[in-house]
Amino acid sequence: MSMDLTVKQLRDGLDSREFSAREITQSYLDRIEKIDGQLESYITVTGEKALAAADKAQQRIDAGESAPLTGIPMAIKDNICTEGVLTTCASRMLENFVPPYNATVMDRLEAQDTVLLGKVSMDEFAMGGSTQTSAFKKTKNPFDLTRVPGGSSGGSAAAVSADLCGAALGSDTGGSIRQPASFCGVTGLKPTYGRVSRYGLVAFASSFDQIGPIARSAEDCGIILNAIAGYDYHDGTASKLPVEDYTAKLGMDMKGKKIAYVSEFFGEGVDDEVRNSVLAAIDSYKAMGAQVVECSMPSLKYAIAAYYLIASAEASSNLARYDGIKYGHRSEVEGSYNDLVIASRSEGFGDEVKRRILLGNYALSSGYYDAYYGKAMGLRQRIREEYAGIFEKCDLIITPTAPSVAYGINENIHDPRKMYQADFCTVTVNIASLPAISTTCGYNADGMPIGMSIVGNMWKEADIIGAADAFEKTFVRRSAAL
Amino acid sequence: MEMDMVKYLAKLAKLSFTDEELEKAVADMTDIIDLMDTIKDIDVVYDAYKDNHNVYLADLRKDEAMPSLPTEKLLANAVNQENCFVVPKVVE
Repeated sequence: MSMDLTVKQLRDGLDSREFSAREITQSYLDRIEKIDGQLESYITVTGEKALAAADKAQQRIDAGESAPLTGIPMAIKDNICTEGVLTTCASRMLENFVPPYNATVMDRLEAQDTVLLGKVSMDEFAMGGSTQTSAFKKTKNPFDLTRVPGGSSGGSAAAVSADLCGAALGSDTGGSIRQPASFCGVTGLKPTYGRVSRYGLVAFASSFDQIGPIARSAEDCGIILNAIAGYDYHDGTASKLPVEDYTAKLGMDMKGKKIAYVSEFFGEGVDDEVRNSVLAAIDSYKAMGAQVVECSMPSLKYAIAAYYLIASAEASSNLARYDGIKYGHRSEVEGSYNDLVIASRSEGFGDEVKRRILLGNYALSSGYYDAYYGKAMGLRQRIREEYAGIFEKCDLIITPTAPSVAYGINENIHDPRKMYQADFCTVTVNIASLPAISTTCGYNADGMPIGMSIVGNMWKEADIIGAADAFEKTFVRRSAAL
Repeated sequence: MEMDMVKYLAKLAKLSFTDEELEKAVADMTDIIDLMDTIKDIDVVYDAYKDNHNVYLADLRKDEAMPSLPTEKLLANAVNQENCFVVPKVVE
């Protein structure tokens, strides 16, 4: 059986009894067993639980009461709390952490009897864009095992791309859903900030973090967003705005739609093949009747600094909770309370996490606060205003998702500055709290996927899913080599 | 960035570094701060009013006690004794 099936195809197969929930779950588990040794996408595989969940889902299917995700096998990024299932954040700090509760998104997936196949790798505490800072599984790219899958949700994107799950959840703080989706040739959606509850998502930068789906199509992303979106008592930043049907605008009629071409996203630093591929996709939309409007975002050149200052400031505060006492790594060192905390943190955190904590403390420290954190917050407002100006004239913005295709393992990871700069296409969306979806729009000469991002105004997920779907219907997606 | 500043930030962060790690951290942080310094080129001031004027107290949930997790579940990831977290002795 081909495992390259969308959620929609899996639903049809389950409901028509072409295969049972147990059979499809077992097929994924077998494939994980067979090829994940090379790919290294899963940190934890929950085989027995998955089969038990599949049997429960089957009863619901047999009763004719399927929800859209009933019996669909999914992989979950390892920073989303799963009650009774190891949640490591790909860090030695949480190597043995078993959450006593479910993230709200997990409760919502379980309410539909979705099948959890396991927890997938990521950059440690979601800090990185390569999944090479994972303390456990340094995931590879299914299109070329010598390259990175992107990150931080690299395990999620690679598992979808390599047919090791039906779909996955990731989280996006500065591009961590969209960039790995782009590198692995799949579709990833970062919802509007507040659309999906963050309760149970291990916090990195609380004003940016957002959970979202990585799947084979925009339609699948809409089906999953329908399941996980909405207000949550446990998250004060979760919006009370009503949840829409995010599949309502599939195959959107692009006639008369105004697409913003923001020149700064296509300038220096973007590979020619990436630029040409995204421009060709914009031409496809023009052929469908869309109009292209030239726009500008003068503050984009400051966005990387603004993002890293704010995100690191929030991270340094959020990660102060890891003291080795309540949960997480506890050092064996003998000594005072302070000695225990310092040793536990120093042993538990990896290099990149430590760098971000230092940067965050610097940005917030006396004498530097106004020059760095204060100014970054001002820039955040400026960038929001520039986006608002663009959305007064346009319906959507199309940009490259990343300036290059997936690069070689170890190529950038010893150069933090270069790693940070590579995020310039994605971070402004988080800064402005906007929704964006990345879908494959081409392949380079080596056959590596190229992604484009479609950015919408606040709460316009249905529009960007609809527009991405309209393109996907004209585009032939390639399967990964693995 | 000076070595003393990195040591100060490490102290604030409750992190310890070996001498070799400190050397590397100084080099990395110097490079990173150089990138962050690009924002010095732009004249912009944060306006707290813009972010805060539309926060409505009526949207906040009521301040009332709700059921919480049982103590044994919360202690399961910690070294614990008699329903308490165990810490090194902090008083004589």
